[in-house]
Amino acid sequence: MNNREKYNNAFIESLDVEESQLAGLKYQDVPAWDSVGHMGLVSEIEDAFDIQFETDDIVDFNSYEKGIEILKKYSVVIE
Amino acid sequence: MKEQFEPIYNLGAYEIQQYQQNRYPLLFIDVVEEVRPGEYARAKKNFSYNEWFFPAHFADEPNVPGFVQLECLAQTFIMTFLTFPEHKGKKTAFLNVNNLSMRKQIVPGDTLIIEAHLKSFKRGIAIGYVEGKVNGENALYVDIKVGLPDVMKAYIPKSAENK
Repeated sequence: MNNREKYNNAFIESLDVEESQLAGLKYQDVPAWDSVGHMGLVSEIEDAFDIQFETDDIVDFNSYEKGIEILKKYSVVIE
Repeated sequence: MKEQFEPIYNLGAYEIQQYQQNRYPLLFIDVVEEVRPGEYARAKKNFSYNEWFFPAHFADEPNVPGFVQLECLAQTFIMTFLTFPEHKGKKTAFLNVNNLSMRKQIVPGDTLIIEAHLKSFKRGIAIGYVEGKVNGENALYVDIKVGLPDVMKAYIPKSAENK
């Protein structure tokens, strides 16, 4: 599984969304991406890439695309 | 490295209220017999006919309402992380309950022994498994997720603040 697939799977598993919904998806766009869902999503991504987000990055992570940008700091490239 | 805390034994009603904010008539557990902070808690609840809910549930067949049973489990579970010094006395909130199974009617005279296992505690969200037994028999068990709103709000994405 490549990094894009891992990243997408984290959203699909934790937020119960379809892959077709991911592009442009923002925090609170779907009911499951609320403050509790956000913690689940963050944990899922941390497990998928074996990283630990800093608090500021968790707060900044407010969209599908922003997450990709943030992951670069952790040497995770989503192509 | 994970910080280790000493086990705590035999917390009575007054001491329990130093750790959690539940109060009469919604503080149900009588004694927390053992807590290993970050791992495990075991508590006891004695049910006598003097409980406020028995005359209403039901007059001719008194038994413990399901929500009271579940709350007993939750109050034991939260002791696994409210015994961390930095979280002592904080308010908690149910986030999720899964696989709740109630196996046995609990009646006046029964003692419920509850054991709670904390599987994960991260950013104010605690996930675990709790079970209750009466006379050594399974009465109920549940997978549970409880949050500490005070801690969780530090991780809310920025866009939410503008809504």
